[in-house]
Amino acid sequence: MNTNSNIYTVIYTTIIVVIVAAVLAFVAMTLKPLQDANIKAETISQMLSAAQLVNDSDLQKMDNKSVLAKYSESVRTAFLINSKGAKVRELNTEDGSIELADNLKEQNYNIKGAGEPNLPVYVFDKAGEEIYVLPVYGAGLWGPVWGYIAFNDDCSKIVGAYFDHSGETPGLGAKIKDEPSFREQFKGKSVDIAGTKLFAIVKGGAPEGATGAVDAIAGATMTCNGLDAAINTWLSAYKPFLATQMGASLSKECDGSCGENSGDCCGGGSCNGSCGGNHQCNR
Amino acid sequence: MNKDLKNTLLNPIFKGNPISVLVLGICSALAVTVQLKGALVMALSVIVVTGLSSLVVSLIRNTIPNRVRIIVQLVVVAMMVILVDQILKAYAYSTDKQLSVYIGLIITNCIVMGRIEAFALGNKPWPSFIDGVANGVGYGLILVIVAFFRELFGSGTLLGFQILPDSYVPNNLVILPPMALIFLGCIVWVQRAIQKDLQEK
Amino acid sequence: MEYISLFVKSIFVDNMIFSYFLGMCSYLAVSKNVKTANGLGIAVIFVLLITLPVNYLLNTYVLSPGALVWLGEDFANVDLSFLSFIIFIAVIAAITQIVEMVVEKFLPSLYSSLGIYLPLIAVNCAILGGSLFMQQRDFASCGESAVYALGSGIGWYLAIVALAAIREKMSYCHIPDPLKGLGITFIVVGLMGIAFMAFMGISL
Repeated sequence: MNTNSNIYTVIYTTIIVVIVAAVLAFVAMTLKPLQDANIKAETISQMLSAAQLVNDSDLQKMDNKSVLAKYSESVRTAFLINSKGAKVRELNTEDGSIELADNLKEQNYNIKGAGEPNLPVYVFDKAGEEIYVLPVYGAGLWGPVWGYIAFNDDCSKIVGAYFDHSGETPGLGAKIKDEPSFREQFKGKSVDIAGTKLFAIVKGGAPEGATGAVDAIAGATMTCNGLDAAINTWLSAYKPFLATQMGASLSKECDGSCGENSGDCCGGGSCNGSCGGNHQCNR
Repeated sequence: MNKDLKNTLLNPIFKGNPISVLVLGICSALAVTVQLKGALVMALSVIVVTGLSSLVVSLIRNTIPNRVRIIVQLVVVAMMVILVDQILKAYAYSTDKQLSVYIGLIITNCIVMGRIEAFALGNKPWPSFIDGVANGVGYGLILVIVAFFRELFGSGTLLGFQILPDSYVPNNLVILPPMALIFLGCIVWVQRAIQKDLQEK
Repeated sequence: MEYISLFVKSIFVDNMIFSYFLGMCSYLAVSKNVKTANGLGIAVIFVLLITLPVNYLLNTYVLSPGALVWLGEDFANVDLSFLSFIIFIAVIAAITQIVEMVVEKFLPSLYSSLGIYLPLIAVNCAILGGSLFMQQRDFASCGESAVYALGSGIGWYLAIVALAAIREKMSYCHIPDPLKGLGITFIVVGLMGIAFMAFMGISL
């Protein structure tokens, strides 16, 4: 047979392409559920890590099954809220319905004005206390950066955070994920819902004792700016929800003063820091 | 095993090593050597891809039209790489994420195409398969050596287990990309000091 | 402003050679003298600049999950991303072939200087790597991917010309026998990489 004729070449390539496409489509379809389960388990494990329900070294050893088991054991409820902070719909916590990073991208457009956002809130139970985990999403230097920020039961304090990215520079921007000390900084900080800037990642180091700021990573300015914007955009969208949460627990005794810690300010004002344990709050 | 086959198997691992002697497939070799685990998975993936694509191309070698030879080879290689990638995504997700684009880049790894052109097109399936696997092993060997030193000195661990005592301060420079090249240069140095016939003038 | 920042970053900070080792094979093989290095470098810039936007359009409108929605609502759930490697490499191979033919026909002088390198480029990791990074990093627009292509192409070009110049000088040096050729080249590239790391802290 003449293997150099035009007809033979065309038929041959067609057959090869069809065979290859068929094999690949079959394999992709077969493995799709497993791959999706992996992505889901990863997202859940990031939330668990943000909520400080598992520590990093345990997390690496956990397989998908134990991640899901831990999730259904510790999650109390999960729901979507709209821009007014009102509950739109409950998520099914039994089968672990979660909003993946893909979906956060869509909500990110909605927050910026494309439509009415449906923002997820996950409520975890940690030794009887409620932990609220909220996602953030935005653009880093090379691609999307996203993460989860966990708040305590009245949302006045951050208990932990976890960030991920799709392609930041290894050794620089990638540190938002790889460097535990960057994430550790978020612990104990608070969000200033009254101010224009809710939270800041400060280049060159956050001021000593600042409650709403952490140090940026040296050499990763663009990534940190992107993350800063992501946190501020998303938490602004959550503002009504956060205000309700904070108000609910502080409304008991709100006299415009704050306690020992400047983060104690009710209504989200900042503390004027004057002498004595009973500072006034600036509104 | 006859002598030819044994030669086919052993030559690429030492004397004709694809990385340190033939300078093929360096692109992806260095970026994945920060941790031993990533290097092992990458080595395994390359062994599977070179072995299987050499086998497949050798099986169909008499039917391939000469004019579209390269494209057909690329399609076969790309298919194998996608299979490996899909399987890794399903069963070793975190490692796949760590290797990121470098799994896809096995397609353009010169070792794969090089062995297909040089060997599989002119030989029977079984020797071609052995040749592909042996070249993959030769590639993997260098990868594992570089990764061993980089993880040991860069993180003080091996496969994630702490090896060096806490008093050792990890050398961050070793984790950065340029050090991989310098380690590779040293490997070439050692190899050529032993095998004098490989030295360049 | 974003474009300028992306451009500078892709040349210096995320240099294809020094940060990702992409296109190493031809980088080491064709860097023995400046003239040929120049030719290959320009060819790489050229091909990257054409293939990346094409692959970007393919990725956005055909390959990524839900991309086929413009064909109708029925296609909203189609996810062809598993085909992306094969499509990208086919596009690259086809475009290098077409570019080669076009250049040969209309710009014979350019062809005689670039010609022999064009076929080499189809299997240059830097080209496929560019497309894969484009997919991974989720670029927002076609323009952004073109700027990235230009930047990383120029970064590659700079790297190969610089190495070729050093290697020309190196022939006058005393180097231990086993290190001659390949060994010392690896070490030199490593040192160049460390020098390029000075750009890492660049803020734009």
